[in-house]
Amino acid sequence: MTLSRETYRQLEDIVGAENVSDDPVVLDAYAFEVLADLVRPEQSHFMPRPVAVIMPRTTEEVQTIVRLCNRHRIKVKPLSTGWYHFAAPQSDAPTLQLDMRRMDRILEIDEKNLIAVIEPYVIAAQLQAETLKLGLNINITGAGASCSVLASSCAYAGQGPMAYWMGGNAENLLALEWVTPAGEIVRTGSLGSGDGWFCGEGPGPSVRGICRGTIGSRGGMGVYTKCAVKLTHWPGPTEWKVRGTVPAYRLPIHEHFRVYTLAVPSWDAWADLYYQIYDNELGYVFHRQFNLAGADLAPAFWLMYNDHTKTLNDVEWMAQEPGMRELTEEMRISFQFIMAGRSVRDIELQDRILDAILAEVGGWKVKRFAEEDMAEFTNMYLQRLGHKHINYVWAGGYIGSWMQVGTPDWVKGYIPIASAGLERDAASGLLVQCGGDAMMGSGSGFPGGGGTGLEQFVSYDPNDRESTKAAVRHMEDAVRDATSYGFPPGKEALYLELSKTDEQVWASLAAANQPAVFEFQRKIKEALDPNNIGDRLYSTLPADRTIPADKTPATDRR
Amino acid sequence: MALADYRADAMRCTRCSYCKWIPFDLVKSSRFAKGCPSVDHNNFHNYSGGGRLVTYLSLLDGRSEVTDRVVDIAFKCQLCGNCDVACKVCRYDMEVLAALREFRFWLAEQGRVPPRYQAVIEGFRRRGTMLGAPEADRGSWAQGAGVKDLSREKAELVFHPGCRHSLGGGLESVARTSLDILRKAGLDVGLLDNGQCCGGRVYHMGYREEFARTAARVLGAWEDAGVKTVVTPCADCYHTFKHLYAREGSRVETIHMVEFVDRLVREGRLEFTTPVPLKVTYHDPCHLGRQGEPFVPWEGAEKKIFGQAVVYDPPRPRYNGAQGVYEPPRDVLRAIPGIELVEMERIREAAWCCGAGGGVREAYPEFNAWTAAERVEEAKSTGADALVSACPWCEQNFSEALRDGRAPVRVFDVLELVRQAL
Ligand code: SF4
Ligand code: SF4
Repeated sequence: MTLSRETYRQLEDIVGAENVSDDPVVLDAYAFEVLADLVRPEQSHFMPRPVAVIMPRTTEEVQTIVRLCNRHRIKVKPLSTGWYHFAAPQSDAPTLQLDMRRMDRILEIDEKNLIAVIEPYVIAAQLQAETLKLGLNINITGAGASCSVLASSCAYAGQGPMAYWMGGNAENLLALEWVTPAGEIVRTGSLGSGDGWFCGEGPGPSVRGICRGTIGSRGGMGVYTKCAVKLTHWPGPTEWKVRGTVPAYRLPIHEHFRVYTLAVPSWDAWADLYYQIYDNELGYVFHRQFNLAGADLAPAFWLMYNDHTKTLNDVEWMAQEPGMRELTEEMRISFQFIMAGRSVRDIELQDRILDAILAEVGGWKVKRFAEEDMAEFTNMYLQRLGHKHINYVWAGGYIGSWMQVGTPDWVKGYIPIASAGLERDAASGLLVQCGGDAMMGSGSGFPGGGGTGLEQFVSYDPNDRESTKAAVRHMEDAVRDATSYGFPPGKEALYLELSKTDEQVWASLAAANQPAVFEFQRKIKEALDPNNIGDRLYSTLPADRTIPADKTPATDRR
Repeated sequence: MALADYRADAMRCTRCSYCKWIPFDLVKSSRFAKGCPSVDHNNFHNYSGGGRLVTYLSLLDGRSEVTDRVVDIAFKCQLCGNCDVACKVCRYDMEVLAALREFRFWLAEQGRVPPRYQAVIEGFRRRGTMLGAPEADRGSWAQGAGVKDLSREKAELVFHPGCRHSLGGGLESVARTSLDILRKAGLDVGLLDNGQCCGGRVYHMGYREEFARTAARVLGAWEDAGVKTVVTPCADCYHTFKHLYAREGSRVETIHMVEFVDRLVREGRLEFTTPVPLKVTYHDPCHLGRQGEPFVPWEGAEKKIFGQAVVYDPPRPRYNGAQGVYEPPRDVLRAIPGIELVEMERIREAAWCCGAGGGVREAYPEFNAWTAAERVEEAKSTGADALVSACPWCEQNFSEALRDGRAPVRVFDVLELVRQAL
């Protein structure tokens, strides 16, 4: 499908000829996406091609583009930084890709009221660098510093290692400017009543949940053009004196901070420790991070990474060294934990409390990772989250399976199943074998604790078809494993959804725990997207689908 | 290598876009966070490191064809290497910069290069230089220096000023200062092919054959003259000798003039006596900084460990900017009395390119000037009086960006300040 010359000229008129292209090679750069190989025929790395790519500069341009697309029944797919197959066109229906990179301004940082107003292409590293200067910080989503703060706030849940202290970005979203699929500009919350950016709900229209949808609209429900996010106090230095050698940069540890890798002897102790941490209100960044390299290999991997003269080859022998084997056992069940205090006395007290609860649950601070080099590296890694692409380090491909969020006691229930599943599926040698437990995740996705989740890191080689097929089989296995043990499907089901037909998607939505949500979202979509220019990532259930009686909302049943 | 050998790099690209930024840990402000001039100027994803990998993947897979747009994508890039450094913050199986070069060779072999290259390559073939200077001007800077001519005599050390330093443009004083210092240090130094190009720039423009012929000729001449060491004040030539010639079999030690001066200062053999009261900021040239790492010969193949983890047998050398030449020029500046060195935000392996590299100066003057102006803005933000570099291409680009004289910033080569301080 190509655009008519007339329509193309109209697009050029909106943004200027240099900001629109329908050259096949340009379009392919947008069709190419990570994870496409897991859902596309023949393991192709390309999602469907858009009919053109356009780069607007203003909200008014976005609105004009969206209205034009409504007239021509062309789907609209915006992306900000564009990582993952969700960012590309989702079907062969003609789709215009909006690359939002020219809307890249931090419009305002209101230091007094703890608000930053941003455009879509402001990434977390940029915003954090600016807020730190003012003694403020932002929540950086689990996907890291490279990601758009606006996208994580408006189109996803925006949780991650810092959400425990600062809240997920879905919560941190204040007022929002949104071009709906029909081309209306909606200014939400306080902005809608001319009162500025401070509130996402009233006194203007309160539509945060509506435009984001259940798990994030992911580019399927119009275009978010500006938003305000909540900032939090930063108790550290306003200027970071980063040191160390690429790639293992180090952030010196301020006297108000402590940086640890904490370990426990069992998953029961792990859950106990999480509860103790919540109850005692400890922690600033709380994340099981380094285990992404796999429990058998993680210590060797990270010590290799911290020596710039070494490469992945070295992990093989390093992991076999007696000292490393001991360290591997010492930190088999471990996580990273950064505490922040308001004063030296405050952090000393927190440290004593931590020691006391570690003693109670039988846990310990991993000594090697508390030494200056590794502690500073941990500090850098988790305060900036600038190494998240390391998720792909083993072979260039990774999928996250599991990651169902719940209480620590509930989450520990699926750990053995997820571990056994990876060990079973990696036995073929078609997936990376790094120990059955390659699980990582936030200490809590909610501020103050309460809900955690662990994502199983499954690494495969996207340059190897058999390995890619094994990754797909693993995802299907993980769904089966989860459901057979009474857990809902995890993250892999979200990824896999892109390979399913509409009928298959609707069947799984109907079988979900609260299918009425998707019925409600259909009504929203009918109202806001009458020409269906969004895609199915804003999940809806057609009117003719019956929802099982036991899954209708409680009020209906009454 | 052939372009198909870099297919795996494209297949393993995750489109994470790290290559568009400096390494995130080093981001100090929103304004100076971006690392890739090409995508920052041209915007479409194709113009980033990862975008170029996808572009050739699309071509190799027959999904699209070579068009003028493809040529534009491949060549409107300084080959500055920021993408390579940023990608390798997290990866051991990607060679983005090498792939970008290979993409150009592939196109150049099909005769698909930017139209403006034509005159440049013809000049190079005829005169052995990138620059259009008259034959007679070549080497005039060295007249009366009484230095050995290595086409007839022998010496262990050859001084190579580089075409940019020896063919006019007001940059000859760097060559003269360098030669003075070398001779005062009592070294047996000679000149060869004075004013000839090392061939590095034609290599980056995609003309692999021309480069190979130049390298073979120069290496043969060095061998005949008994050369063991080459010293150059040009970062481009430095990289060419240290990496590209080494790949062609050279065993000649390569030293940049600032490294040499640094060594003399450390050994107490050179002392700066005249204060130079100046607040300066130092620009790391790509070819001396992140691309100035030692060359390690390697021939090997991919293999898998732990089932699917990708490694190389034997282990592949890792060029990620960790071992670039960063401190010697800074140490020289710090040793000059009166100089205050202040840093820009994007430095060392994260330096923003001056704009001139990768044939951009030759083919895309507007993009070249924009890139230089961006760096000048960063220099101005430090409050420095002067922007100092160790490469004539950077110096010339910055001088041109400041030509309107409105900014109170001057441009120097480190060696120009060294001369003032002696
Ligand atoms: S080249 Fe590297 S940094 Fe760039 S998008 Fe690809 S994987 Fe990411
Ligand atoms: S070499 Fe430099 S200009 Fe070219 S893609 Fe990489 S970062 Fe961009």
